[in-house]
Amino acid sequence: MSVDAADSSATVLQQQRLYEDRWSAYGANAGLLHLSSKPSASELKRFDLFKPYDDQLLDQLSPDISIAKWEKGAILFEEGSYLDVAFYIVEGTVSLFLDKHATSASQPIFDTKLVEAVASEPSQGDGAAQTAFVQPYQPPKEKKEAKGKKKGDGANITYLASMDFDLAHGEEHQLGRGDIFGEIGALNGWPQSVTARTATDCTLVQIRLPALQKLKLRSSDFKEWVDKLYRERTLSQQLKTTPLFRGTDDRFVEQLANRVELISCSPGDVVTEEGAAVDAFYLVRSGFLRVSQKVGDGEVAVTYLRKGMTLGEVELLIDGLDGWQTTVTSVGFTELVRIPRADFESILRDDPAVRQHLWAAAINRIKETGYTKQNPEQPDLIEFSLAKGLVQGNSILVIDLDVCTRCDDCVRGCASTHDGRPRFVREGDRYDNFLIARSCYHCEDPVCLIGCPTGAIRRTNVGEVVAVDDNICIGCGNCANKCPYDAIVMHDTEEVWPDTALPEFLRGRDRRVASKCDLCYESDAGPACVNNCPHACAFRINSIEDFQQLQAVDHAQR
Amino acid sequence: MKTAVQKTAIYQKKRPGASRWANKWIQSPQWFLGFGIAVAVCLVVFVLNVVFGRVHPGSTWGLGYGIAAAVLFVGVFFYGVKRRTMKVRALGRAWYYLQFHVYGGTLFLLLMLMHVGFQVPHGVLTWWLWALSLWVVGSGLFGIVLQKWIPTLLAGGVRTEVNYDRIPELVADLQKRGDAVAESADFAVQDFYRKQIAPALAAPQFRPIYFLGIPSGMGGKAKLFASLREMQPAEERIKLDELEELYAAKMDIDAHFTLQRALRGWLYLHVPVSVIALALLGFHIFAVLYY
Ligand code: SF4
Ligand code: SF4
Ligand code: SF4
Repeated sequence: MSVDAADSSATVLQQQRLYEDRWSAYGANAGLLHLSSKPSASELKRFDLFKPYDDQLLDQLSPDISIAKWEKGAILFEEGSYLDVAFYIVEGTVSLFLDKHATSASQPIFDTKLVEAVASEPSQGDGAAQTAFVQPYQPPKEKKEAKGKKKGDGANITYLASMDFDLAHGEEHQLGRGDIFGEIGALNGWPQSVTARTATDCTLVQIRLPALQKLKLRSSDFKEWVDKLYRERTLSQQLKTTPLFRGTDDRFVEQLANRVELISCSPGDVVTEEGAAVDAFYLVRSGFLRVSQKVGDGEVAVTYLRKGMTLGEVELLIDGLDGWQTTVTSVGFTELVRIPRADFESILRDDPAVRQHLWAAAINRIKETGYTKQNPEQPDLIEFSLAKGLVQGNSILVIDLDVCTRCDDCVRGCASTHDGRPRFVREGDRYDNFLIARSCYHCEDPVCLIGCPTGAIRRTNVGEVVAVDDNICIGCGNCANKCPYDAIVMHDTEEVWPDTALPEFLRGRDRRVASKCDLCYESDAGPACVNNCPHACAFRINSIEDFQQLQAVDHAQR
Repeated sequence: MKTAVQKTAIYQKKRPGASRWANKWIQSPQWFLGFGIAVAVCLVVFVLNVVFGRVHPGSTWGLGYGIAAAVLFVGVFFYGVKRRTMKVRALGRAWYYLQFHVYGGTLFLLLMLMHVGFQVPHGVLTWWLWALSLWVVGSGLFGIVLQKWIPTLLAGGVRTEVNYDRIPELVADLQKRGDAVAESADFAVQDFYRKQIAPALAAPQFRPIYFLGIPSGMGGKAKLFASLREMQPAEERIKLDELEELYAAKMDIDAHFTLQRALRGWLYLHVPVSVIALALLGFHIFAVLYY
């Protein structure tokens, strides 16, 4: 959709206003005493954080920086919320604690289950060889959890770098003048791992994502500082609790945490090049990587890596391999932990359990690569999935067009269970005879959540459904603009905002809400779109591996 | 072990090892087998019945066939009920209702014919009930043929997928974009657009040719575009490319409009008559009980 210049400047103004209002939207008791935006370069230079930078850079950062005064006891953000802001403390003390989820910050950096999940060999096409990793669709558990089940126990979810702090329940961590927090969540689009509350009256510099990114890109000092904080606050604990390193000497892991390199990749950055010398082992902290191999004169994608997976096990375990066996390229923004070869080899020598873990992953990787090379369709599917973001998806609505009679009962089923408003459009990209319907993928890293001024769009539970709370949504459209897959539409409710609405500028305006698939999470009956398809040709697939199987069964009878 | 896809999606259509034909027409071997057994049992019972006595609607067996047929006929209406009560989540998956609708409806016809001893009834009401039953099941089977045939045509022939209800909106958008491109083009392109393309973009068009195959409906214009393109400078060629894209998209939409309309249209042959037949069945039962 193209937007003309006038519209776009109006949008910028609107966003600016929403940004200012994001805190007041919480209501009169939010505790925000004062907020001033766009500080000048000289104002910024008053703070230690900005002293090293020239005026030109500071002028560029200024639109995305504000200075806020908060009173004691104000909640800045809650655990599990997505923010596009980091906070730098100028004055006062902020206390951080865990209060909601049973998961502590010490989540595994690497989960063997996850590696096996993606690295397993897909179905062989005769429909008989099935892999065990694919989980059937389970109605989301929130309802049951509300009745007492433990939250956040999704086995395949690696919480890794969403953790700013490694805290235990009941423990509080105090930050003071000169400290920064929230930056990991903001930079990576992950949920905050802790709740932040002002312990005294505070003055904070609030730096939005664009400014953070510019700073990280332009200043190696800033990048180093942020990485150092990550190492200090959480990395060693994460490494220790990772199944891969469980059993390895704690002191060694702590030393390792200081030696590993934290790498941030931009789209297209090459991490390893086929044939080049193997100098490290990698853990993927976030994002997606394309793994390819040379075939003839060209190159084909053989698989992909995502958060929680490793790279280098094949090369480091198997003697006699000459250099990297694959070229690995970052698809979007990716964060990696790089363990130098010498350090990793010393772990392998000292700890047979690590070696054993890695062998399983290596064998799967080799099988998968071999399978992909023998099946000409696989690279296409991998490329398609990476290009269209299917790799992100926790639940993708796929329709077999050979069978679909276009009756639209799926759409009507969705509408009838959602106040007459369908939450998806039966249109979208096609792959082979499958339609990838324009319905939310419930992404691993949902970018739509970043920048919602009221927190109306949220995860109903970490790692699961992304839903919009109609009561809080102010219809700004930020989420719809952010979603790369057109999965959110703005809907006119034909109501106007009442005179009591907050923020005030809404009062008397037409009320719009963001409308998107919520995976029917409030019903135990599962997705209404799937259930109401009379031809059983609408599927909710949970992963690309599901898609591969769907395709394999489909092709087996051609 | 079953995959998630098989478990969650009742994905029985594509059964490895079965022929393409069988996979296309029989979504569920279990349902098909059940239907086959039911038909066989009915026929055996009927043959025995004929051998050992006379079958007419008033005989004990004839009445039994009639009651079974009436129960099935009412049962198959639950598919319609399910489609109108999507909100009630406890009713289960629509797929089961459709399977029952198709197999139960066909079995109903057999039982109804057994009820009348495979004769044409003489009474006015019963004749109409007989005739409408044939029509309802016949139109239903015709619908199944359409539902197997048209999706394959669409899946193989068009590049885009559209919601039927959004077609007018999408066509209006194409027209707007076409007008905008033509407006900035030179006279020859404008003239070509006005005469050859604009009428096609004006509204969704029902083109029966799509029933024969979708690519055959796309042809002709490509040559016109190609010959005009040869005479144009580079910047006009870009505009022609855009117009050709829009035209191709419109052809896809027309294919959807035509074929999706047929997929919806046949229901007018089927549903109203079914409702009349149900009402007549009610009268018939009432008349039998009353008199
Ligand atoms: S709305 Fe878009 S970005 Fe957000 S979870 Fe769904 S598909 Fe992903
Ligand atoms: S899962 Fe539910 S909300 Fe999502 S598209 Fe299907 S019916 Fe609609
Ligand atoms: S309900 Fe099933 S057959 Fe009907 S349009 Fe949706 S996916 Fe296609």
